[in-house]
Amino acid sequence: MIPLNFYLALSAIVFSIGLYGFMTQKNGIRILMCVELMLNSANINLVAFSSYNDDMTGQVFALFAIALAAAEAAIGFAIMMSIYKMRDSINLDDLNVLRW
Amino acid sequence: MPIGDFAFLIPVLPALAFVLTFFLGKKLPQGGAIIPIAAIAASFVISLIITINLLQNPEEVVTQSYQWFSAFNLGILIDPLAAVMLTMVTFVSLLIHIYSVGYMSHEPAKSRYFAETALFTASMLSLILSDNILQLFISWELVGLCSFLLIGFWYQKPSAASAAKKAFLTTRIGDVMFLAGIVLLTTDLFKIVNGTIPEQLYMLRFDTMFHYIPELNAMSSTILGFEVSHLTLITLLFFGGAVGKSGQFPLHVWLPDAMEGPTTVSALIHAATMVTAGVYLVARTFPMFIAAPDSLIVVAYLGAFTAIFAATMGVVMNDIKRVLAYSTVSQLGYMMLGLGVGAVIGAEAVGVSIFHLVSHAFFKALLFLCAGSVIHAVGTHDMRQLGGVAKVMPITAATMVAASLALAGFGIPKTIVGTTGFFSKDPIIEFAYLFGAEGGSWLPYIFAIIAALLTSFYIFRLIFMTFAGEPRTDYGGHESPATMTVPLAILGIFALFFGAISAKTFTHFVSETFHNNFVHVDIHALAELGNYHIAAEHGHEPLLIIWMPIIVATIGLVLAYLIYYQRAIDVSRFVTRENPLYKLLYNRYYQNEILTEFFAVKIVYESISMATYYLDRGFDWIVKLLSDIVFEAGEAFRQVQTGNIRHYATAVVLGVSLLVVLVKLVMEVI
Repeated sequence: MIPLNFYLALSAIVFSIGLYGFMTQKNGIRILMCVELMLNSANINLVAFSSYNDDMTGQVFALFAIALAAAEAAIGFAIMMSIYKMRDSINLDDLNVLRW
Repeated sequence: MPIGDFAFLIPVLPALAFVLTFFLGKKLPQGGAIIPIAAIAASFVISLIITINLLQNPEEVVTQSYQWFSAFNLGILIDPLAAVMLTMVTFVSLLIHIYSVGYMSHEPAKSRYFAETALFTASMLSLILSDNILQLFISWELVGLCSFLLIGFWYQKPSAASAAKKAFLTTRIGDVMFLAGIVLLTTDLFKIVNGTIPEQLYMLRFDTMFHYIPELNAMSSTILGFEVSHLTLITLLFFGGAVGKSGQFPLHVWLPDAMEGPTTVSALIHAATMVTAGVYLVARTFPMFIAAPDSLIVVAYLGAFTAIFAATMGVVMNDIKRVLAYSTVSQLGYMMLGLGVGAVIGAEAVGVSIFHLVSHAFFKALLFLCAGSVIHAVGTHDMRQLGGVAKVMPITAATMVAASLALAGFGIPKTIVGTTGFFSKDPIIEFAYLFGAEGGSWLPYIFAIIAALLTSFYIFRLIFMTFAGEPRTDYGGHESPATMTVPLAILGIFALFFGAISAKTFTHFVSETFHNNFVHVDIHALAELGNYHIAAEHGHEPLLIIWMPIIVATIGLVLAYLIYYQRAIDVSRFVTRENPLYKLLYNRYYQNEILTEFFAVKIVYESISMATYYLDRGFDWIVKLLSDIVFEAGEAFRQVQTGNIRHYATAVVLGVSLLVVLVKLVMEVI
């Protein structure tokens, strides 16, 4: 059986990749994808612990998280579409309209 | 039902009249003058009956007392001292009110005038019959308020408004001292009873206060290196209040300016109400004064000094009302001197002084009302423009002469022939002589004699300039209506004959105040407490001393006659701006300049404005600093809000990491 630590390490690596992307990428779609990565790393943790503890709660929670991520992605893409329509670009560095 | 049960009505009726006149006066003829006149007449009748009762049976002192908080009370006390004051105030006030109907007939705001004078009288009456010093102080303040309202009656005139303010603020200095005296007295009494007040003991009631005089005398504090007994301190503070209200040096500056009010108000202030309050306060607390060695001496010296000081200014004034105003200040000085000589003659001083107060009220009210009558008819109060008024106003002139004779104190010693002023002023001068003989200081006596000479001179100067000779300018003039002349005639009779019939009885009656069954104190024991030696007997002064006042009064009259009627002596050489003495007197010793321009403006005003300027700047600086900090911080934090999502992400990550590290650290410490 694969020890729990491996799962946690995988989760941490995936999360770090997501975080790195989130902090460095300019493209909106990529940033959304990075957010998905981070959410999934959390899901890995949930499932791993759930299995480790023999308790279904974590897996159910992970299902919730995936459902919410799907909904978030849908809305995120919709926002990207409208930003693109408005600005002809989805470069987030240009999009500081909420500043002050 | 004994008449004493109605005593509380004496101040209440005029107070009610104030309310009624204030609200209904406009709808009634003559501004509703009938309401205060009726109320004060009723008060007068009650006071008179109580006084007559007391005269026949000195034990029947009226006292009523109600608890107010645990240590104080509200109550009335009518002993001989209060009784004569009440009768005098109601009587003079009644005549002044009747006179006012004629005098104020052309005035649009009549109802306000009558309402305010009614309140003035009510406050004065409640002051007189207070049986405790706290209630007296409340009425004292009310009197001050009413004087403010009435002096500034013509508030549209800037000079009247500023005179009202000056009166209020100047007397306020005295009032603060009086209040400080009461506070000191209360704390000391609390100390004496160890903070537990026995049942039915009212701290500030006069009998309680007097009962604790020896204990108060034993307490002392060190001030400027002098050991001062608390009793001396309290009495001096009380006297400070009296100095303010009674216009004694140096707080007399408001009194001449108070002439800005209607002349009837001047009569009321100078005769019956405001200025007598100070003398009454000292007379009322006389047992405390006689036990305080230094206070009475201060009273005597300040009184004598004020008498002569004000008289010198009266000599050069050209305004008929201002001469009378300085005369009041001077005569009040005599009253204070009369109380001050209590050091050698004991309680009789109160009788003598209050008798002068009452007789002064009669002739000073009369002088003012006559002056008012002249002003009413002629329309000017500059004596240089008048002259020969007697021809058009014979009744006014006759009563004025009667009042002047009383003021100058004409009479023949050792007989019962004399004006009221003679019977009241001469004993004070004689006692001042006794004060010199026993106490070794002749200054008060010399001052009193010179002031008597000046008094006679300035009042006959006024008479000759105004009433005698030929008119100097073309004024119309007519005799005043009966509402004005009848009060004049009544007061004239009192000014001439009241003294002759009542002098002995009156003085004796009032002196008995402190021996009756309410405030029984042993004046001799108290005097010994103050190390006084009360002269065993008097009345054996040398003949010259007894005749002295009348001699100087005659000299004054003759001088005034020669200068201002016969013109045998030409004084125009002296009456110029070049003469430094005349200039000094005419400018009233530059008191206005010293007090207002130097003291008030330079010292008080400028130092306070300097202090407040820097204080203000200081606050400004602090406030500016705080706002700058907030502003700069906002500016700095604004830069953080880039609106760039990646910066926010970085911030979140850093924040979470920091939180984790912190939690880890905290966990380890725990």
